[in-house]
Amino acid sequence: MLTCDNYHLPITLQDALVLWAAAPEGSRLVAGATDLLPWAREGRAGEVHIPALVDLSRVAELHGYTTAKGRVRLGANTVWQAFLTDSALRRLLPCMPHCSSWFADDQIREQATLAGNLANASPVADGTPPVAALNGVLELAHLEGDTIVARTVAVSDFVLGPGRTVLEPGEIITAVTLDSASGYGGSFQKVGQRRSLVISVACCAALVKTDNTGCVFEDVRLSLGGVGPRPIRLNRLESALRGERISHGLIDRAAHMAAAEVASRSRQQYRRSVVVSFVGAAIRDALADQSDVVVNFQDTEETASV
Amino acid sequence: MSELWVELEINNRKIARKTQAHKRLLDFLRDDLHLTGSKEGCGAGECGTCSVFVDGRLVKSCLMPVAKASGCKVETIEGLAAPGQLTTIQQAFHKTGASQCGYCIPGMVMAATSALRQNPQAGIEEIKERLGGNICRCTGYTKIFEAVELARAVIAGDQSEDVLAEEPVGKSYIGHNQRRIDAPARLSGRLKYAADIRMTDMLQMQVLRSPHAHARIVSIDTSEAEAMAGVAGVITSEDVPGTDGFGVFVHDQPVMARGKVRHVGEAVAAVAAEDLITARQALAKINVVYEELPGVFDPEEAMQPGAVVLHDYAADNIVKHIPLRKGDVAAGFAEADIILEENFSTQQVEHAYLEPEAGIAYVDADDVVVVISPSQNITHHRQMLSRILDRPINKVRCIMSPVGGGFGGKEDMLYQGMLALAAMKTHRPVQLVFTREESIVASAKRHPSRVRYKMGLKRNGQILAIRFSMISDGGAYGMSSEGVMRKAAILSCGPYEVANLCVDTTAVYTNNTPSGAFRTFGGMQAQFATESMMDIAAEALEIDPFEIRRVNMMLPGSKTHTQQELNSASLDRVLEAAEAASRWETGAPHMRGATRSDLGGADTRAPCTLGARFAGGRPGADGKERVW
Amino acid sequence: MERKLRGRGVAASWYGIARTATIDRAGAWAELDDGGTAKIVTGVTEIGEGILTLLAQVAADALGIKPSDVTIGDNDTARSPEAAHAGATRQTYMIGNAVTLACREAKMALFEQIATHWSVDIDCLLAFDGELQARGHNLRMTMEEAVATCKAHGVVPVGSASFTAHGTGLDPVDGSGSPWQAYVFGAQVAEVEVDTYTGEVQVLGIWAVHDVGRAINPRGVEGQIEGGVVQGLGQALMEEYQTVDGHPVTPGFAKYILPTALDIPQINCTIIEDPDPLSPLGAKGIGEPALVPTAPAIMNAIYDAIGVRMTSLPATPEKILQALQDKTPGRGRDVRTARDEGAQSQELAQRRGAL
Repeated sequence: MLTCDNYHLPITLQDALVLWAAAPEGSRLVAGATDLLPWAREGRAGEVHIPALVDLSRVAELHGYTTAKGRVRLGANTVWQAFLTDSALRRLLPCMPHCSSWFADDQIREQATLAGNLANASPVADGTPPVAALNGVLELAHLEGDTIVARTVAVSDFVLGPGRTVLEPGEIITAVTLDSASGYGGSFQKVGQRRSLVISVACCAALVKTDNTGCVFEDVRLSLGGVGPRPIRLNRLESALRGERISHGLIDRAAHMAAAEVASRSRQQYRRSVVVSFVGAAIRDALADQSDVVVNFQDTEETASV
Repeated sequence: MSELWVELEINNRKIARKTQAHKRLLDFLRDDLHLTGSKEGCGAGECGTCSVFVDGRLVKSCLMPVAKASGCKVETIEGLAAPGQLTTIQQAFHKTGASQCGYCIPGMVMAATSALRQNPQAGIEEIKERLGGNICRCTGYTKIFEAVELARAVIAGDQSEDVLAEEPVGKSYIGHNQRRIDAPARLSGRLKYAADIRMTDMLQMQVLRSPHAHARIVSIDTSEAEAMAGVAGVITSEDVPGTDGFGVFVHDQPVMARGKVRHVGEAVAAVAAEDLITARQALAKINVVYEELPGVFDPEEAMQPGAVVLHDYAADNIVKHIPLRKGDVAAGFAEADIILEENFSTQQVEHAYLEPEAGIAYVDADDVVVVISPSQNITHHRQMLSRILDRPINKVRCIMSPVGGGFGGKEDMLYQGMLALAAMKTHRPVQLVFTREESIVASAKRHPSRVRYKMGLKRNGQILAIRFSMISDGGAYGMSSEGVMRKAAILSCGPYEVANLCVDTTAVYTNNTPSGAFRTFGGMQAQFATESMMDIAAEALEIDPFEIRRVNMMLPGSKTHTQQELNSASLDRVLEAAEAASRWETGAPHMRGATRSDLGGADTRAPCTLGARFAGGRPGADGKERVW
Repeated sequence: MERKLRGRGVAASWYGIARTATIDRAGAWAELDDGGTAKIVTGVTEIGEGILTLLAQVAADALGIKPSDVTIGDNDTARSPEAAHAGATRQTYMIGNAVTLACREAKMALFEQIATHWSVDIDCLLAFDGELQARGHNLRMTMEEAVATCKAHGVVPVGSASFTAHGTGLDPVDGSGSPWQAYVFGAQVAEVEVDTYTGEVQVLGIWAVHDVGRAINPRGVEGQIEGGVVQGLGQALMEEYQTVDGHPVTPGFAKYILPTALDIPQINCTIIEDPDPLSPLGAKGIGEPALVPTAPAIMNAIYDAIGVRMTSLPATPEKILQALQDKTPGRGRDVRTARDEGAQSQELAQRRGAL
């Protein structure tokens, strides 16, 4: 059960940073707060007393999103449901809606933020693979005197390990910036024990862009979740596909390269075989997800998968 | 605990009041405002019994600190319709029979309402996705889907409101689809379950549970807890005035651990205090000294000589062994054309009724100890309590509160004894509400089973002999194990007449969470093995699975496995109907999925692909924008 | 191999009704009340299955009134006659029959007075849906008038009954005995789709056929079947309470996985009515039996789809993928070839058993 001494709802970033810098040890930042209360229960943290909870959900500077220079800057209060309900975001971030529809459920998506999901640094977080695929960068802010000082960290460097990030004391995530991937096809593969409210055993996000004729991979982005302590971007595999003639054989060969990336100690064999299948499926689904392009495979699936 | 001033609008009524900073919106609704239609099923956002609208968006109120709702418009189940009225969706739930125990139903109605508010034309797959955060354990969801689709049609004007009315009766009320007489109270959130009831001067109880699987209790010191301000009483097994012990068959479980603990989560002591937090804080002040004992966690190990013994009365750790012997098994196998052997196992399963255990006890004006709880068996509870409390049976009264799902899990008298003792000790009403985690760790499970199976058949598929041996982990206490073993044995070899059989079922004590009564009472575990064997045999003999079952099925006059002569048996008609209804394509069961022609009819669902709200699975097609 | 493979399987089942291998009993009181309504008092335990509605229908039918005019008293050991527990699929059978008999007695008390009042033979009286008539005579009155008439004769129309089911114990040596007097039978067909990339199984259809004796509320019966099927599906594919050295590692609903609205098949129910010959109502029960065949039907369907025999529940994606990878090519055929080679069958069977 959770108890606390103070619950703060600042409405400016300055106030939030002041409160957070002054918060006694053991205090917590929350945004959607959807992970906080389940954590403070028997079998997990149990009885938890928190001196101060600083709730960022009303901080004006963290709301909304902007686009500029090929990047989308999502305020840290952007909730998961936005990737389903906002048509501009769906177009700009084509893998996010697929990921979002696998994330928790409609009700939790209304509260839970993408930034919070990244901050929790769970090895099985749904958010990290698509953000990594979109070259995600986190904007972090802290106070030096009265001045707000910002720095940026790539998502791949942000997560250090399970539950550990580079966030320093007094620091707050203010935004997540992502590549604008308009024109790409996106996809997300996930498996758990059921279809709703499920923690993934493994997941894979993909973004694919072909040339106008649908013959050549112009760009491929692939990222895995659930297979290691940190987000994994499949750079080697992406290079192997980029600029190449699209064929099932090529996709299958590339997918097999993914097995080596599985570092998770538990259920490794299962994760390895799932990941190989997922990478292939993610690429094919993302190809199919591209609007206005009909993909022209060089071979047929039967000849390729021998 | 710091205080918090909140101002918000709930069901169109402005509310401004002081509460505590740590409270969740759910606590504020239930405890401060007595809006108990929103339920707590899990406290972790996993079940949806607490779903409410906040500023028009459906959220789980157990995940929301109340501070987050300040300044917002909150709509709860109580606010959907005027008192005494039901919304179209609620009426549709009533019509289709979508509410059973009703505990998930306020949340489910909210989710259905949200689904149709978000998209009044939502298709069935989208409806399912939008209900995906709400668990129902009773209905199998099917009637709920039917209700939402019916409501959608009425709201859209595609169907008249008349479809929501009671069906006219024909010649008899037997066979009539009477709408449930008890549903409106559940659909409106009006029904009070045990956790929803408030009594004047009522105390809150919390239970200290064992952190060890097997340990001797050296001492329990409750003095510091008893001295705390706000604590009205602490109870341990010392407070039991009569003969301690409960259980459905063998009374081997003390109301609270007596001398030793036998499983993690066993009740050791309990505190009754002015409020929940005080009671929980007092638990931390109870000092229990344990001497850990080696435990046994595998039923087959527990049966070995020299294994750790849990109960003095059962030196071999056997709770119950049931043997069935019929015919001559050796002769049967000798005649067989084929003999098949396989091992099967099933897991421990949690009942997961959405209503965690809860209850209230008090001593009434006639000196009767009254216990109100969602018990599945108040008759037996009264008998046991009378002995435990050492009171005449008419000085113990059990009242059944609405049961928010049971499935066998609420037969055991897990906490009613503690409540009665606390009420007797304090002479005040005492309420106990389990958390979900407490319910899971303390309540009995479905018996896990290991079955060794040997079946001999003739070439034509006739079963000549069966040897069936099942070992079940009964956990730390007997509970319903004896009955479960009996039923498993009686039903073991399925609805088939078998001339020669040898069946043994055995439940064993271990230091695991106890196993007990759970819907089918052993019948499922046993018949899972038998029905798998039937298909293995059908494949081996190249017989259609329906056909091999027909060859062996019981008929009127058949002798059952316990040698009872059946006066009636309907399996012939059941199999015929199943074959017809499923459009079954005849053939032996050797991996013919790829070639069969009976797949994927209108009577199957489309595979779940997620993203149904986007036409064709592609984002961007719904054409609706929402400010978020 | 294609990613998604489908298959079908069937399983049958049987079940006994009411308490096992012992005598079972239930009591009930009935009163035809003012306004042509009724009070029923019995120790019934509504746990969500709809037994209160069912008893209201049974009482209404026996008394000749409407279910909405029936009030069923709360279950309270100090106020209601014993009807024992909610379990063993016993309440419809035990309490349904007790209420039927109690209501018949109350109705006969009323009919005796009305027969006298109208000077007709009691056998020609018929009450239904709040109306009482004397067949063959042009005589009618409402049940409200009938109760008033009966009371004016100085009689309160009440009845009480106890219903008994005569099970016997089992012999301690060979287990022989007659544990129940009524049995039900069922069968379910499952259609599944297995994702060979992940091992995930989606059940797309269930055809559930169950004998219930007599369906007092068919929609309620379906509700029991659907709920049972989904619990069976949970056990088949995902639910697993796990402990390590006695310590639970699935302490809450985040780890203990239950089926959601997205995980369930279309469920097609067929009700078979083979009335129980030993009881007045003819109804048997459905609560527990509905769950029994689901898991084996699903496992048999998985075998049909991908040729692996899942013998250990739950058949999680991980277990299924493992079994698929362990499957030696053509193993599904082994058994068939062995059929014609009698000598090999034993050895084959043992090999199966060892796997």
